[in-house]
This record gives sequence, C-alpha cells and structure tokens, in this order.
Amino acid sequence: MPEYKAPLRDMRFVLNEVLDLDGHYAKLGLEEVNSELLNAFLDEGAKFSENELAPLNRSGDEEGCHFEDGVVTTPKGFKEAYAKYVEGGWPAINGDPEFGGQGLPGSASIAISEMTGTANWSWSMYPGLSHGAVATIEEHGTDQQKNAYLPKLTSGEWTGTMCLTEPHCGSDLGILKTKAEPNADGSYSITGTKIFISAGEHDMAENIVHIVLARLPDAPKGTKGISLFIVPKFLTDGNGGVGERNAVACGSIEHKMGIKASATCVMNFDGATGYLIGPENKGLNCMFTFMNFARLGTAIQGVAHAELGFQGGLAYARERLAMRSLSGPKNPDGPADPIIVHPDVRRMLLTSKAFAEGGRALVYLCAQLGDQVKLARDDAEREQAHDLMALLTPIAKAFVTEVGLEAANHGVQIYGGHGFIREWGMEQNVRDARISTLYEGTTGIQALDLLGRKVMMTQGQALRNFTKIVHKFCEAHGDNGELKELIEPVARYNREWGELTQAIAMQAMQNPDYVGAASVDYLMYSGYVTLAYLWARMAAKAQEQLDAGAGDEDFYKAKISTARFYMKRILPRAAGHKGAIEGGLDCLMELDQEHFAF
Amino acid sequence: MATYKAPLEDMRFILNDVFQADRLWASMPATAEVTRDLSDAILDEAGKMVENLLFPLNRDGDEEGCHFDDGQVTTPKGFKEAFKTYAENGWTAFSGNPEFGGQGMPKSLAVLFEEMMHSANSSFALYPALTNGATLCLDAHASEDLKQAYLPKLYSGEWSGTMCLTEPHCGTDLGIMRSKAVPNDDGSFNISGTKIFITGGEHDMVDNIIHLVLAKLPDAPAGSKGISLFLVPKFLPDADGNPGERNGVAAGSIEHKMGIKGSATCVMNFDDAKGWIIGEPNQGLAAMFTMMNYERLSIGIQGLGLGEVSYQSAADYARERLQGRAATGVQNEGGNADPIIVHGDVRRMLLTMRALNEGGRALSTYVGMELDKAKFSENDAEQKAAQDRVALLTPIAKAFFTDRGFDTTVIGQQVFGGHGYVREWGMEQFVRDCRISQIYEGTNGIQALDLAGRKVTRNGGKYVDAFLADLRGWIDDNANEQGLDSIRERLVAAVDLLESTTAELLRQAGDNPDMVNASAVEYLDLFGYVTYAWLWARMMVTAAQRDDDFGRAKLTVGRFYFERLLPRAGALAEQIKAGPATMMSLEQDLF
Repeated sequence: MPEYKAPLRDMRFVLNEVLDLDGHYAKLGLEEVNSELLNAFLDEGAKFSENELAPLNRSGDEEGCHFEDGVVTTPKGFKEAYAKYVEGGWPAINGDPEFGGQGLPGSASIAISEMTGTANWSWSMYPGLSHGAVATIEEHGTDQQKNAYLPKLTSGEWTGTMCLTEPHCGSDLGILKTKAEPNADGSYSITGTKIFISAGEHDMAENIVHIVLARLPDAPKGTKGISLFIVPKFLTDGNGGVGERNAVACGSIEHKMGIKASATCVMNFDGATGYLIGPENKGLNCMFTFMNFARLGTAIQGVAHAELGFQGGLAYARERLAMRSLSGPKNPDGPADPIIVHPDVRRMLLTSKAFAEGGRALVYLCAQLGDQVKLARDDAEREQAHDLMALLTPIAKAFVTEVGLEAANHGVQIYGGHGFIREWGMEQNVRDARISTLYEGTTGIQALDLLGRKVMMTQGQALRNFTKIVHKFCEAHGDNGELKELIEPVARYNREWGELTQAIAMQAMQNPDYVGAASVDYLMYSGYVTLAYLWARMAAKAQEQLDAGAGDEDFYKAKISTARFYMKRILPRAAGHKGAIEGGLDCLMELDQEHFAF
Repeated sequence: MATYKAPLEDMRFILNDVFQADRLWASMPATAEVTRDLSDAILDEAGKMVENLLFPLNRDGDEEGCHFDDGQVTTPKGFKEAFKTYAENGWTAFSGNPEFGGQGMPKSLAVLFEEMMHSANSSFALYPALTNGATLCLDAHASEDLKQAYLPKLYSGEWSGTMCLTEPHCGTDLGIMRSKAVPNDDGSFNISGTKIFITGGEHDMVDNIIHLVLAKLPDAPAGSKGISLFLVPKFLPDADGNPGERNGVAAGSIEHKMGIKGSATCVMNFDDAKGWIIGEPNQGLAAMFTMMNYERLSIGIQGLGLGEVSYQSAADYARERLQGRAATGVQNEGGNADPIIVHGDVRRMLLTMRALNEGGRALSTYVGMELDKAKFSENDAEQKAAQDRVALLTPIAKAFFTDRGFDTTVIGQQVFGGHGYVREWGMEQFVRDCRISQIYEGTNGIQALDLAGRKVTRNGGKYVDAFLADLRGWIDDNANEQGLDSIRERLVAAVDLLESTTAELLRQAGDNPDMVNASAVEYLDLFGYVTYAWLWARMMVTAAQRDDDFGRAKLTVGRFYFERLLPRAGALAEQIKAGPATMMSLEQDLF
C-alpha cells in the first residue's frame, strides 16, 4: 500500500473553481476568508494527515483499542498525534470565536476532514464526534452550559460523544429506555445503557462530554418523549477544570470488523449527573438541527475510502506486471505489461476515480450549502439552501458511502490475492468502509428519509427545486459542442427523475408500503443522477479553463475524460434501479414471514 | 447470531423435482447405483454432519486463526478432531474414483454437499476442497504407480493435497513463473522455488501432505508452454507406503488475511525437494486445466454457501428484531415495535438474497449435471454438448456466484444494522470469508475474460448460440405451463437481450481488440442474470405443480426475481454497448 497523498489539486479544483468559494464567501460577507487562506490550510492539513495520521492507520488496525477495567487505551501513537492536532489548533477551526474558535465556515474545513479521514478514519472519529456535541451545545445550550463546556471542547482538550443507541433500539429511537430523574438542584440523574458509542471512553482527552438521549418521568411515549442531556465524565469544577468523577463508565468495547482503533463503547449511566439541554421532550428535534451536518461527516467517509482504494489500486496497477496488452506489448523489455493496460483494470480504476471525485464534489457542495444555511443574509436564500441540503444530505450520506464501499472493493480486487492480505492495507480499507453504510442512519433509513420525508412530504417540491437547477445548467451548456454528449444524458435522466418520482407518488397513495419498497433503489437512482450532474458541471468548468488557456491541460482533459466514462459506463446503472422500482409490490409484501426459509 | 440449517427441502426440490437428476444418473453406468433414495439419505447425513460438527467451529476458528511456529502450522482448536471424524465417516472419499477407494458420487450431488460445507465452515471446507483438486488431477494424469501410492491415502483422509501455482511475482500470469525442476538419474526431479498462497500447504490434521507443483524443466520453452506438473510429498513414502523421510519442502510463513482465518494460507519453500512428474513434460498447465472446471465451480459454491448462511441468519434476525412500525399499521400489537421483516426495504434485502441463492443453487446443480455428462456419458453427442455447456457456464458460475455471494453477505450484514459490524454476531465474518472467493481460482476479472474472450468471441459465439437454443427450446416446450404465464414475456425479453448484446459484443470486438476485456465483467453479469431467469422459470414451472407453502413461496420469490432483479440486465447491456472508448482514452499518467 502506497502512502496516502492528499489530492490537493482536485480539492482546489472543486473548492475554488467549480464551487467558486471566493465568490461564495464574498456573498456571505466573510471578508477574511478566501482561497488564499484556504490553500494554506489545505497544505498544512495535507502535511499533518500524511505525516502524522497515515503512518498510524495500519498499526492502529492491527493493535486496536484496549479495554481494562473501564479504562480504554488507544493504539500506540494515537494520543500523541491527537496532542499535536490540538496544539496545531485544528479542532477550533469551525468553533465559535466567543469560545476560542476560529469561526470559519464548514466549507473551509471540509477538505481537512476528508484528508484526516482518508489518512486514518479510526483516528479522525475522535475529533469528529466532538462536532456533534459542540453543535448541540452551541445551538441549544444555556450561556452557563456554553461557558462550562465550549472552550475546552473547542480547543480539543475535551472531546464529546453522542449517546443515542441502546441494545434494543437503533433506527427506532422511540422505544429507548434510558431514564432521567430530576434532582432538587435542577440537575438530573441519568440511568441506562447506551451502546455503539464512538469515543465513549479513551485516553486522549482529560474529559469526555456525553450528549445523552433519555426520558423524563411521565414523558409521552415514542419519539415525542425524548429529552437531551449533557453528562460529563468528570463534573466541572467551576473554574474550567475537571472535578469529581461522574457515574458514567465504559462497560466494554466492541470487537468489530473494522475501524478497530476507534473505541466503540458500551456506556453505563448509573445515576449519573446530567443537565437538560434544550426543551423537555424535544430532544430529537434538537438532534435534527445538526443531523444534516453529522450525516455529511459520514458521507466524507465514502469519499475517503474511494480515494484510498483508488490511490492504492492505481499505484499497484502501474507497477504490477502481468500479461500483455491486447493491442500489443506496452512494456516490451519487461516480462509482461503493467496491469493498467488491461481494460478491466481501467474499468475498476476509473469507477473508483469517478466515485471519489464525484463524491467529493457532492460532499463539498453540501458543505457550501451548509454555510448558506447558517450564514446567508437573505431569508429566502437561507431557506432555499436549507431545503436543498435537506434533499442532498441523505443522498450524499447513503450513496457516497455505498459507492465508497464498492470502490474500496475494487482496490482489493486490483491487487488480486495480495488484496486479501492484511500487510498490503487494501482489505482494511474495505473493513473500515463497511461501517459507513450502517451507522449515522443505515442506507435504508437514509433512503426512507429521502423518499418519504424529503420528497413525498414536500409533494416533490424539494426535488423540483433541485431538478430545476440541473435543468438550467443543461440549458446553459447544451449548445457547447464539446460538452453535448455529457449534457444530453444529464438532461434526459433529470427529466426522468421527476417522472419516476411522480409515478412512485401515485402508487404510494394506494399502498403505503410502496415507499419503503422503492426507497433504496430510488436513493441509488437519485445518487447516480446527482453525480452525473456534478460530473457534467466539473467537465464544463474544465472545458471553460481549457478554452481560456488556463494551463494545466492534462488535469482538465482527464476530468473531461472521466466524465465521459461516468456517463457511458456508470450512469446506465440508474436504469436498473428504475426497473426494480417499477417491479410489482406484491412479490415483495405477500410472502408470509414464516415462509422465508424452509 | 448466525444460524444455519442445511436447506434440504430446496436442495431436493432442485435436484429431484426440477432436474430429475436421478434419471441422468441411471442413464450412465458410472453413476447407475446412485438412486434418489441414496442421494436423499446422503444429503440428510451431510446436513447433520455440517450442522453438528463443522458449524460450531466456525466463529471460534475465525477468532483463533491458524498458528505458525518454526515451520509448523497448528489449526484452530477442534479442527483436527473434526477432520478425523469427517474422514472416518468417509466424507473425504465422496467424489473419489472407486478403483482407489473413492465413493464415486456424481458432481451434481457433490455441489450440494460442498454448498453445505461452505455455509457451515468455509475455512474448514477448503482443506478437503484442495485435496479434491489434487486427486482429480492425479486420477486424470498421473502414472499408475503414483495413483496406487497416493490416491487411497488421499481418499481416506489420512493425507491431504495442495495445488502450488502462484509465485510472489505471478498469479494470473503463470507464464512468467520461476520454480525449477531438475531431473535426477532415477527418473525423479529436484524442485526448487517459492510458492505463495498455498491453501493447506502445511497443517496438523493429516500424516502427510501431497503438493502438486508447477515448475519449469531446464530448457523449457518460455511462457505458459514451458510449465510441467510435479507431485511433491511432504514426507517421501517408505517401502510400505507410509510417510518416511522428510522432503525438502517447508512452510516459510502463513499469511495474515482478511478472512478464512481458520484456513492456513502458506508460503511454501521448495529446496531441492524430490518430486515426480505428472503427465507429459511442458504440459503442466493443460493437466491442471482438466480439473479447472471442477475447482472453479467449487470455489463459486463458496460464494453460494456463504450467501445461504448469511440469508438464513438475516431472515431469523428480521423476524425477531423489533424496530419501527409497519407502514400499513401495527402488526405486533403486544410488542413495543414490529419485527423488521414487516418493512418493505428489509423484505427487499431478504428476497434479493434468497432469489440469488436459490437461482445459484439451481445453476450449480445444472452445471454439476453437465459435468457428470461430460465425464460419464457414453453418448458422444450428449457428452460433447455437455462439455460445451460446461466450458461456457463455468466461468459464469465461479464469478457470478461469488460476486452475488459477496453482495448477499453484505446485505445480510446490513439487515443486522450496527450489530452486523460486531464480530460476535458472526455476520461480518461471512463478508470477510467470501471476499477471497472473488479473487482466487482465477479472479472474477479473469473469469469474465475467459467467458467473453475464449468462450464467446474466439469461437464466434458458437457456445452461446447453442445455449440460447436450449433456452428457447425450453420456453417453447413449456409455453403452456402454469407458473410461466406471469413471467414469460420478461423471460423472452431477457433471452433476446442476451442474444442482441452478444451480437453487439462480437461486432465491436471485430473492430477493437479492447472491446472484449472492456465489457467482460458486465457481459458475465448480464449472462448470469439471464441464466438465473431461465432457471427461476424452470423452478416456477415445477413449483406450480405443488399445492403447498413451499411451492407458493417459490412462485413469489421467482416473481420477485423477474420484477426486481432482472431489470439490472438492461442496464448492463447499455454499459456494454457503450464500448471501450471511454475506458481506454485516459493516458496512464493522467489517472
């Protein structure tokens, strides 16, 4: 496995050229943020990721986390790397300046998250989970709570977690059992067991701040009876330091398929002191405010594993000699040609490249929308960005992680038998990628969110807002001879997307099962079409730069070439998903549950 | 937790009712003694054996893995004892030549047995699987002396076998291998070189290990035409045929792998090890090819077996796990949520798994029968036609079973949500164990190239024409059958699509040599989906004759296959027709 190199050229292309972040920041009134600053950031982030994090990726997987008597020890080197990360000020990039943050918008750090994640996904989860806690406290905490927790969380001296899942409930949080009993002093005693808590316990920070979902006594049943609490590992001492140990402890860590260096904890709350955050029984609503950001954080994982699989596969495909090219020897002096000459190897590489770069464009676009949601000065603009982000987030989360897993598997396949051997590192990429379609809402849950909540519940409006943007893009570039073959399929699928959605809506009125039955195929369809739009957009930008004689011709030509590959060889997959959706519902629902196996 | 019961009812349905394999067996002297009663009894016993003996060792074997210490390999706890029982009960002799102590069971029965083995414990299953390959090869090509000396002990399970092909620098491209064989005066050879990825190369379950090794003679022609095959035992047999002096072959290390951790994957160092040639000089690859179709089918079945155990476990979990409410209203009044099997998307996942598993089981049985005809039929025309079908369908079975098997194990894991990622639940092991099956025994890319190149374009589509004629003939013969009415149109369209896409492949391949390899994987997938459609139609026609829950479930799953999975074929055809241009235009340096 070659060492990870941050794909800086492509990152800059997406951020500066395709998404025009300079213009975007100017519009938002962020005068101090610009591409110059961003570029410096990217360079530093690349150095940190390549030099500090990537070297710990394989060893972290082999060693894993250790659990002994409630104490979790992270793999060798993790703690030191985290200390450097804190020292370098990285955790504070997006934080509120009032509490020591640098106040930069999400789009300014999205590439940094990608780099740290690609270099070492397990490691990046520790700081990653803090974002959720910070966002929750920033958004819903009292001033006192903000003062007590935000400075240390922002600096990274403390880390955070999100405690949602319980042994009997994950997707269905309405049935959770953890209890919160009010105390006389206004605090609460939290009791219950939470599982799958990433970074629930570890040795890298002096305190861990848990955001916990629990039920008040007499809370209504279901999702409307859930409240949110802050439960620190150590109670604060009132001076910004840590005091008494709270009654929360890690009961064990999971033995997992991958992300072995990330501690996945069972957390036992045994009358732990907690503080209500946000209104009573509105805990899930509070969580939803940053759900899109959290899901975007997982969408990055799809890009990360696609990129890593691609980089690893490419390096090997250029070196490994086997067989001769069908169109004549390409390496006549060697015993065989490098396998990159074989069309099937190219198919795997180009597929991975198309997903990595297309996924990057989608995730960065969502980050840009996230800026607008938070910072746009115009209400209408803010709302529009919010709706668009709401539509695209489940697509980014589920589609990009699904194809990220596919690309990671191509990486293994290119290595042949060596891909299955741990020392080469490619199989770890698959094992690590595998969690991304499960946590932070499974692909099935994202698909229901997309089709049920985002599309059906808005009577298709959210989708129309987006297809209109795509339509306008196609209109604007349809006459460009160079781009015609790329724009045509995008326009065609964009039209079909709307028609397919209408057809589903009609069917769903007659049978509510139709939505669940169609949802994942619909999500995948939507993902392929969305990526087609972004590939066309990237190709259009590349063509514009070529026409303008901007230099770097090879880079832009490769972009256009990859876009062509995507349209011809990947986009047709959407038709298979459409066909599946149009299949009947009966064959899916009629089988008696006792007759699934004989 | 993972659960497994041998799917005996479906196996009997396919073997006895759909294909009436016993009629075929009765028609050929070599298999005439195998009756339906016998095959049913064997499947029963095999089911009990894998459920009770092998499945319980599966998870522990993965956790513990194999141990390597100074050339010695120790298999996980319980493997050695289980293998002894397995051998004593005659399972190692299952398909062996009766002349040397084998039981001579047909491949069409063996495929079902192999499926159970891989469902229950894929790592364990690989030890006897490799021995099967070695014995097939010995039986076909070795001298009478070698057969007498080695086959009985290999069939009895006292010894085991390996296949030593791959070297560090070459796997797919064996033409560039370096291992050498120098002739001795006594007619034996001295073999030197390093072989890697040798499954069962060293272990503690048997008294002797017999390596079949590819190596080059001095002055052998360059490339794949200069490779010979040798038998190299770990211990040289003494005058009584028992293991004697230690030979110059030893395991240098074992690999640390993603999965199949209970299976020892060895680096084998040959240092002037004594060996004997099998078959003719420089004909080693050809000798290997005679058993290649058997081995490829068997490895395909690994994907199938793992898909089945993953399905059964996921179906059980989906009936038990309570989460959310059904879209059409509460189904489980007494509970705080409904079992997840009520949700459309969970059903989609389960039915996808089941439709692929059962379609695969039908194809493995079909190819098994064709292999039996190819080997045992005394009717020349039948034999030739069977050989052609085997040649065409084997790469499809190997790659399609394992690719769909991998998809299936991933879906099974998905049904478990976060728990699917946790080792104790067992679902992620199936994914890791299955991942190798797409790679070894010829990567699936190589299988696809074999299909699209050697088996289709290089003979102008001759095999495909015959196969399409089989399909169309069957459709005509069954035009009025119940069970076919609801899906007949879709089936005919699928056959048409395979025909037109094959024509397009041949046309474009004539213009551009890159077309074949650029379309091979999608073409193989398309072929697989259409073949499953035909086999599902056959199962549906047979199922329509039954009036029971099993038959009705078959019809539902069959309809699911046609309505929800077969549409993938259309997308694949479109990708193939797009041609190779966009794949080849990017300069190697611009990736």
